[in-house]
Amino acid sequence: MVDATMLPEVTAAGVIIKAILILAVIAGLAGFGTYIERKILAFMQRRLGPMHVGPHGVLQLAADGIKLFTKEDIIPQHANKIIFAIAPIITAATAFIALAAVPVFPDFTIPFIDVYVPSIASDINVGILFVLGMMAAGLYGPLLAGMAQSNKWGIIGSARTAIQFLSYEVVTGLSILAPIMMVGSLSFVDFNNYQADGALWLVVYQPVAFVLFLIAGFAETNRTPFDLLEHEAEIISGYVTEYSGMRWGLFFIGEYANMITIGIIASVVFLGGYNDFWFIPGWIMIIGKIAFSFFFMLWVRASWPHVRPDQLMWLCWKVLMPLAVINILITGLVMMIV
Amino acid sequence: MSEVKTAENMISIKIDGQEYKAKEGEYILNAARANDIFIPAICYLTRCSPTLACRICLVEADGKQVYSCNAKVKEGMEITTSTSNILEERKAIMEVYDVNHPLQCGVCDQSGACELQNYTLELGIDSQSYTIADTKRETTNWSSILHYDAGLCIVCERCTTVCKDMIGDAAIKTTKRGGATLDKGLKVTMPKDAYAMWNKLQKSVIAPSNGTGETDCSDCGECIAVCPVGALVSRDFQYSSNAWDLKRIPATCAHCSSGCQIYYETKPTSIENRDEKIFRVTNEWNYVSLCGAGRFGYDFENRDAVKDESTFKNAIEAFKKAKVINFNSTITNEEALMLQTLKEKLGVKLINREAKAFQRFLNAYTQASGNSLYTTDFKEIMQSDFVMSVGSSLRNDNPNARYAFNNVQKMNKGAGLYFHPVGDTLIPTFGKTIEMFTHKVGQEELALLLIIKLFADADKLPSSVKDQLDANLVELLGGDSAKFEKSFEKMMKKKTSFSLMIGEDLYFHERAENIAKLIAVLEASSSVNVAMIPPKTNSLGVALICDLDSEASGYTIGYNESGDFRLSALGDGDLDMPAMNQQEGTLTNMHKRVTPTNAALEYHGYELNDIMREVVSAPKHTIDWTAHLPTAKGFKAVEFDTLPNGYTNDGQENRGYLLETTSKEVKEITVEKFSEGSELEGEIAYRCNPQRQFNDFSDKSHQIFEGFGLYASPAKAETLGKRVEVAFENGSLTLDVIVDDRMEGDIVAVPDFKSAENVYELFGESRYKTVTIREV
Amino acid sequence: MGLEQFKNRNVGTQNYKVLDLEMPPITAMEKFKQVVSRTFKPELFAGLGVTLREMINALFRGKMHTTQYPFEKLPISPRYRAIHEMLRLLESGHYRCIGCGLCEKICISNCISMDTRYDENQRKEVTEYTINFGRCIFCGYCAEVCPELAIVHGGRYETASEQRASFSLFEDMLTPIDKLNLQQEYQGFGAISSNADENIKKTPLAY
Repeated sequence: MVDATMLPEVTAAGVIIKAILILAVIAGLAGFGTYIERKILAFMQRRLGPMHVGPHGVLQLAADGIKLFTKEDIIPQHANKIIFAIAPIITAATAFIALAAVPVFPDFTIPFIDVYVPSIASDINVGILFVLGMMAAGLYGPLLAGMAQSNKWGIIGSARTAIQFLSYEVVTGLSILAPIMMVGSLSFVDFNNYQADGALWLVVYQPVAFVLFLIAGFAETNRTPFDLLEHEAEIISGYVTEYSGMRWGLFFIGEYANMITIGIIASVVFLGGYNDFWFIPGWIMIIGKIAFSFFFMLWVRASWPHVRPDQLMWLCWKVLMPLAVINILITGLVMMIV
Repeated sequence: MSEVKTAENMISIKIDGQEYKAKEGEYILNAARANDIFIPAICYLTRCSPTLACRICLVEADGKQVYSCNAKVKEGMEITTSTSNILEERKAIMEVYDVNHPLQCGVCDQSGACELQNYTLELGIDSQSYTIADTKRETTNWSSILHYDAGLCIVCERCTTVCKDMIGDAAIKTTKRGGATLDKGLKVTMPKDAYAMWNKLQKSVIAPSNGTGETDCSDCGECIAVCPVGALVSRDFQYSSNAWDLKRIPATCAHCSSGCQIYYETKPTSIENRDEKIFRVTNEWNYVSLCGAGRFGYDFENRDAVKDESTFKNAIEAFKKAKVINFNSTITNEEALMLQTLKEKLGVKLINREAKAFQRFLNAYTQASGNSLYTTDFKEIMQSDFVMSVGSSLRNDNPNARYAFNNVQKMNKGAGLYFHPVGDTLIPTFGKTIEMFTHKVGQEELALLLIIKLFADADKLPSSVKDQLDANLVELLGGDSAKFEKSFEKMMKKKTSFSLMIGEDLYFHERAENIAKLIAVLEASSSVNVAMIPPKTNSLGVALICDLDSEASGYTIGYNESGDFRLSALGDGDLDMPAMNQQEGTLTNMHKRVTPTNAALEYHGYELNDIMREVVSAPKHTIDWTAHLPTAKGFKAVEFDTLPNGYTNDGQENRGYLLETTSKEVKEITVEKFSEGSELEGEIAYRCNPQRQFNDFSDKSHQIFEGFGLYASPAKAETLGKRVEVAFENGSLTLDVIVDDRMEGDIVAVPDFKSAENVYELFGESRYKTVTIREV
Repeated sequence: MGLEQFKNRNVGTQNYKVLDLEMPPITAMEKFKQVVSRTFKPELFAGLGVTLREMINALFRGKMHTTQYPFEKLPISPRYRAIHEMLRLLESGHYRCIGCGLCEKICISNCISMDTRYDENQRKEVTEYTINFGRCIFCGYCAEVCPELAIVHGGRYETASEQRASFSLFEDMLTPIDKLNLQQEYQGFGAISSNADENIKKTPLAY
């Protein structure tokens, strides 16, 4: 266990550098995620996916970016223009703000100028609450976007946002409560340290909580099988129907950033964090875990159909929430007894 | 009129058991055609003598096999168009025609319109029973126009027939081919007529009749038109288009006053240029024969005209201040009516030299005779058997009149009298009983007096004429009276109908009015029918519609003529006008017929009607004027779109309408006495165009080669040198000397087809002028 | 073949198969049982397995389906009737087209046009020949009507062009003279039938 007091002092410069780093890397990764998604889905359908822009289509991201930046920015005539303009920013901004309290990379010191860059931009002691809160706040993006655009598909999209996000916030919170009880802290660093030095991963103690968290995570990030908000076959594009260009792009940067966030939380909370594993260094482990959880989301999208809104609600309130509550009770009982 | 079938000369015949009416003395083939019954025939040409080359028109008449092109109908005749024997003959004939006929329909110009193809299919020839060794037959060019592919030729002799019987050149004939001789055994095994036809076919081929490789002819291209196969093609058209690709636009030829019916055949110019272009001109060759200008002078359209509003404004200004409009006869009746309207509303003077002269002559004639127009037309002249011509260089002035003169000699065993100061070597070759008077310039009245003397009933003559007949007119005209008397006796044998055509020399004569009176006297006192040849395309129409002025001065608008502001269909004026192949309208031709013509090519500029709409009020289209042509002058109030333009199967002309003519009683005519000594002496120039040239438009066409020069007989040309200056009283021209083989004598011809040269000014009110010529 | 099966219009008696579907759960207990059975049956994971298997097939076992079209093309039938080819005579190398214009005439979409002229060798020369592939419907009449087997349908099927009116010029369609040895006789629609000889009427050929 590393003593926090042994670490160098966290300076403002370090935090800013970290913030910029997160912003640049995650935003880049979010974009790159679209490429990966298209590629993985294609492979699973025995297709090639993007091939023409750059070698094996890796520069597709640049092409898409140029396209999004240069497209005409259309705001519908009867839309509430201010909210319509703000909504995508809410989604993207909350996604990145959430990342402030998440340990993304191991800490390091920049040579020569001697600036210490921490692994977390802001290691607040209620990190998990902050992250969950920010992600919950992110629901205002789709909600406002759908309602502001004066489009019936948008309205349906935001209605679905309301039921889906509101429902699954409950499950997310309850599912993660059991690990919190075990660790006794709300700081991600503490979670990481709890599983350090060859200790078993929390998923071993809390498999039910992990499964519930994953399911809730899909709903949080608005991924198949819970992509009700914008399901093309039913409601055109849901809350993004009227969006185009970079505003539309912001929603997707937010979505992919959220996917990464969920991946990080899952990795840190349940899957051993950035601790070394056997002979594999911790930073490779954390990247591998995040990558796998990202891949898992795509894999699920390629394999499973999506559910109806009523099935979603039914699953949440009648199955997942009771399970989560039971899980907390059992965890509490076991902790009391042991 | 001959066109009207009267009850008397109609007889009834039976064809294939059905009863029909037919004209007495008509050939069976023509009678059948007139009744819409099909008898196959390749070599026969309506209006020409039967050739009996193809023998396919075999029919059975009253139980005997006859050639329907050659046998005349008789009252009650029973005709069977096809028996098993006849069918066998016809099939054998078609098989023989197909022997060694090159299988190049794919490239042949006639493919799709080929009578050999048609009859081979019609008779169901799908196999060949006969063979013979082929002989090499060369492809040759007979002239700058004609291309002859002997290999394709089936020696039907239609070309030679039309050249001789209609055109009069007789420039081509059948000659020996040197082909393999037929197996004598075939005479027994083959159908009889097929063998005879083959025997002749195998030996002959067509060639220029002067023995050289080049035809000596007027390049009319009628042989091309009648060729049933692709053997005769114009060099310009060859391999440039298939017959079926061409859109046929019925029109009226705008080059001379014949106003022949023609089809402009158009198609997009090329793959790159999709604008329509005229590829050739075709005609209903059974019923009308074209001249070289009509057939080859078609690409005179005003190509690059556009609507430029500023020039149009200038034109409007020019019309508003115009005092005079100077124009010629190459305009439609509608345009003439527009100009007349301008005169009535704006008071401009109308100047048209040739039409004015003709109008003056017509008026004098009407006054003297009481007839609103001349009484006969050229169709009727073709039916007559004694034809005369005064005051016209037939060969150059009007090809159709010349064809009529020739056709009478050939078809009606006719006779002819030809009075003209300029000697001609072609006219005497038309027939054996033709007398030519190459009289002195100014003796036209004497010629008419001679005709009156020969044909008129002396009792009906006014004394003023009678007095003049005592002179020895034949001697005065330069003939030998004893010899003439003898030959005239021969000429008059079995002659029943007489006709006279008069031409431009008389209208541009000092004593034109007196001449008109003589014509009136002739008509009143004899059975001679007189037809007039209007000087230019629509001179008759202009003369009837417009109130022309003789002299005028002031701001002048020239329409295809000189002026201060020039409208021109040639593309060289201040404002473009549509050429005749780009506009619709009617023309009045020498047959007294108002014929419609259609636009073959697109025109993008302004028309005269556009100016009319700005200057005075006018209807929307030019053709809206058609119904308003002056009915008092014989025109009918008929809409343009109702005018037909074609021929019926029996050869009746169904084009536009005939002018109404009226006649009224007149008092006795007093004719002035002929005064001796008015003949021109010295070097004389004659205002006359070469063959195939009539106006600026024929000159613009790329297949008309006759140049603007001084035309002279070979002997005269030798004395003149290469290039000469021709000095008139009021100006001079420097011209190249061009030899016209068919001219004789010392008179030289100066063409007037280039309006820019102002030849009319030089000649003034006459067609002949004394000039001084010196070599330069 | 009889027409009986077409004449039977009684749809109800046809051989429809009824799928073996379970009745939907009605009581709460049944619904709960369905959820439990569905949750713990590995159906969902079978789905994941299928997609993963296909990905491995595609990536490592060479079963990728995609044809990268503009760069790769699938082989087409030799009888495929696409963009026209103008053939040459095998001996002389001269183009076969004689400019007869039958294809131009028969073309029902009016997309063929040609320019011809009388050349120095007294032959009909085809100076230009185009087909507007924006209009051509590839009906094959031109190939069928051609008396010289000069115009045939080839295997090029791309008619996209940078210009709205995309033409194909004579040289574009003509067999390149250096590829004359590769020119094949056409077997498709419009080719001479195999019994063409029998259909010809025998006529004497003494000369």
